[in-house]
Amino acid sequence: MNLEKLLYDSYGYTEFRPGQQQVIEQVLSGRDVLALLPTGMGKSLCYQLPGKVLPGAIVIVSPLLSLMQDQVAQLKKMGEKSVVAINSFMKPEDRERVWNTLGSYKFIFVSPEMLVQPYVLSKLKALGISLLVADEAHCISQWGFDFRPDYLRIAEILPLLGNPQTLALTATATDKVTDEIKRYLKLSDPFVYSHPMDRKNLSYDIRKFDNDSEKLDELLRLVSTYGGPGIIYAGTRRKSQELAERLLGIGIRAAFYHGGMEQQDRIFVQQQFANKELEWVCATNAFGMGVHIPDIRHVIHFQLPSSIEGYVQEVGRAGRDSLPSLATLLYAAGDERLVESLLMDDLPSPHEIELIYERGEEAKQLIEQGMIRETAYRIISYWRERLPLEGTLNQIEQLKKEKQHQAASVRGLIHSTGCIRQYISMSFDQENPEIPPNCCSFHGIDHSQFQSDRNAVKAAPQGSWKERLKVLLPI
Amino acid sequence: MRFDEVVLAIMKAVDGQRTVSSPYHLIKGKKSGQTIQDIGYFGLHPYFAVFPKLDKQDYLSSIERLEARGLLIPDENTVQLHRSAIELEIPPTPLNGWKYRGNESRFFARISLVVQTMSNFMQGHKRFDPVVTDETVQAWAKAYLNRIDFRSAAVQEAFSNQVETSLAAAKISETHKEILVERLSGFGVGGHTWDQLAMEHGVLPIDAKIAAVETLHAWLDMLESMEYPLLSEMLEGIIQQSALTESAKRTQNLSERGFSLQQIAELRQLKSSTIEDHFVEMAMNDPAFSSAPFMDDQLFASIHQISKEMKTMRLRDIKERLPEASYFQIRLALAMRGAGK
Repeated sequence: MNLEKLLYDSYGYTEFRPGQQQVIEQVLSGRDVLALLPTGMGKSLCYQLPGKVLPGAIVIVSPLLSLMQDQVAQLKKMGEKSVVAINSFMKPEDRERVWNTLGSYKFIFVSPEMLVQPYVLSKLKALGISLLVADEAHCISQWGFDFRPDYLRIAEILPLLGNPQTLALTATATDKVTDEIKRYLKLSDPFVYSHPMDRKNLSYDIRKFDNDSEKLDELLRLVSTYGGPGIIYAGTRRKSQELAERLLGIGIRAAFYHGGMEQQDRIFVQQQFANKELEWVCATNAFGMGVHIPDIRHVIHFQLPSSIEGYVQEVGRAGRDSLPSLATLLYAAGDERLVESLLMDDLPSPHEIELIYERGEEAKQLIEQGMIRETAYRIISYWRERLPLEGTLNQIEQLKKEKQHQAASVRGLIHSTGCIRQYISMSFDQENPEIPPNCCSFHGIDHSQFQSDRNAVKAAPQGSWKERLKVLLPI
Repeated sequence: MRFDEVVLAIMKAVDGQRTVSSPYHLIKGKKSGQTIQDIGYFGLHPYFAVFPKLDKQDYLSSIERLEARGLLIPDENTVQLHRSAIELEIPPTPLNGWKYRGNESRFFARISLVVQTMSNFMQGHKRFDPVVTDETVQAWAKAYLNRIDFRSAAVQEAFSNQVETSLAAAKISETHKEILVERLSGFGVGGHTWDQLAMEHGVLPIDAKIAAVETLHAWLDMLESMEYPLLSEMLEGIIQQSALTESAKRTQNLSERGFSLQQIAELRQLKSSTIEDHFVEMAMNDPAFSSAPFMDDQLFASIHQISKEMKTMRLRDIKERLPEASYFQIRLALAMRGAGK
C-alpha cells in the first residue's frame, strides 16, 4: 500500500512526521504497537490513517476528558465526520441516539469509566473493533506521574472484547512505565517505537536566585527583553493570576489561564494567544492541551514542575516549528518545598484510606463534606475492590516512595552540575544525546537569538462596540 | 447594575421575611415552590435565573461586601437591611429573568458561533477552532448558517447590519454593549475573559457578567419585534411560551382534565407537596385561577386580612393566627394576591 498517497488523499499532507510511518505500517500489518511519541508529533494520525483502511471501528480509550474533547474537535477540523465521544458528560438525550447509531461511527472515543460499564461493553463488542487505541497509556502505570486507576480496568475488559489489536500511545514513559504498559495491556510481542525524547531546537536554561523577589525581577526582565509567544508556568492558580497582573502592570500583554476558569474564558485565552493578541500566558499545568501553536518561543517555569515527565511535556510545547526556542527554569532557594508538599498532598492519607474502607460507596458523600478528596476516593475505591486494607496501605506507601523519587529527580535537575539535556535523557533511560549548539546553561547559550520583535504582536482592536463589530464582520 | 445591586434589590423586597440565602436561590433560578412563589409575592420577576451558574462563594463575597458597607446587618435567620439600604435607589434594569430563564446564554452561544463562522469565511478562512464546543449549539448553528445561505455576500451584509442596528436600538448603555461585543470572537480576534473585561471597565468580574446578561435581555427585547429577521430566527426555543415550569405545566394539563391534587400526585408518582408547589405556581401566573377547590371564600379572605394587618408574608406568622388554615392554603391565597399585583 502506498501510505504517502493515502496520507495525501485523506488529509492533503505530503509527508509523514518522524515515526508516524513506521507506526502505521506496523499497525496495518496487524501487530500490537507501543509508540512513544512526543506531544505535538501527530500521535492521532497513527490511528486516523489506519482508520481509512481497516474495516471495523477504531476505539480510542482516552483517560482525560479535556484531551478527548480536544481530539474530537481536531479530528472534525480535519474533516473527519464519523467521530463520537462517549463519556459521563454526555447528555441523556444524546446517549440514546449514540447507542442506536454506534455502528455508523469509525472513530469512537471512550473514557475508561464508561468502557467498563457492561452496557457500553456489550455495545462495543457487537461492533467488531479493528483497533483498540490506549491513548496516554502511561496513565495505566501506577508508577507514572499521572496514574488513573480506572485505566487499569482496561486490562480486565480486553478479553471480553476478544483481545483486539492494540495501539498504545504515550508521550513520556520511563522503562519501568513502558514495561507496565506492555504487561497491563497484554501487548504480545509489540513493535515499540520510541522517538528520541530530546528536542534539539530547545535550549535549557536554569537560573537560581536567593529569594523570591530576585526571581520575580528576573522574570520581569526576561519578558521585557524577549517578545512572546511564551508560556509561564506557575505552581498554583493564584500564582498564575498574580504573575499575569505583574506583567500587565509593566505593559506586557499577558493573561492567566487555569482550570478554575469557566470553559469559555479558557477558550478565549487560547484564541487570543493563537491570534498573537497575547504575548504571554501565565498558567498552571492545565494549559497545554488544546493549544496547537507551532511558534511558541519560550516556556518559563516560575515554579518547579512536580515531575521530570511534567517538565518535559511542558517545555515540549515550545518550538514545534523546529526553530530555536528557550526553556527557562527560574529557581529560588527553598522552591522544592512547595513541590514536595504538593506531591505529598496528592496522596491519600492513611485516615482517608481507612474511612473509605469503612464506608465503601457511602464514602463518596464524604467528598462533599470535605472529609476526603476526590482523587483519594478514586484511587482507594479501586484498590478496595482488590486488596485488603493492609495491602492498600502498602500500595500507597510504595506510591509515596515513588513520589519522593519524582521529587528527588526534580531536585536533581536543579542541583545537578552537569548538562541538563543529558540529565533529562538519563531520567527516561535514554541514551546520551548529542550536544547541539546552545544546548543548556551548562554548555552555554547565546541568548541573543531568542530576542524577537515585540512589535510583531498585534494590538487588540480598541474603541466602541461598533468598531469591534466592524473588525469581526468586515463588509 | 452591579451584582451587589441585584442582591440588594431582592433583599429590599424580602427584608425581614426571608433568609439571607433566598436571593441566591432566586438568582440561580431554583425551581422550588418557595422560590417560584416568592417571585410572585414580592414582584421579583426581573432577577429570576439571571445567573444560573452563580458560585456560592461569589454570592457570599457579595454578602460580605454589603455587610462591610453597613447596608446589611449580619443575622442568622433573615435578611435585615440597614435604613441606608432601604433608602438606596436601585438603578432601572432591563433584566427580565422570568421571561428568559437563563436561555439568553444559549442565544449568545449561537450568535457567538455564527459571528465567528461568518468572520472567518468573510476573510477567506474555512477552518478554525470553534469558540463554542457544545455540540447541540454547533449543530444548530450549522443548520442555521446553511438555511440563510451565509456564504452569500448580500446575506453577510444584511446579517452584519441587523446585528448593529438591533443592538444600537437596545435600551441599555454603550458600556453594556461594549462588554457584550467584547465577548464575541472572530478571525484573528478572541473574545475577552471576564477578568479582562473587569479590568478594562474597572468593575468586578461578576459585575461584567451581570452587565452581559442585562445587555442580552435588552437586545432580546428588540429582536422579538421581528424587524431583524436574520436574528429573530436565532430566538428559536429561547423564549418560554408559558410562564410555568415544565413540570407545573404537566400538572396544569392534568388539572384541566379534572384530576384532583391527590390523583395527580399518584399519576405522576410525585409527592403531593410537589404538586402543591405547582398549584401555587399556577395561582401566581394565571389571573383566572380559582381557589374554590382548595378553600372557601371566607378562609381566603381571612388569610389576606391577617397578612395585611400584620404586614407580613411569613407563613408561620399567619398560621399562628389562623391555625385552621393549612400552609398550602396560605401559600395559595398569598400567591393569588401576588398575581393580582
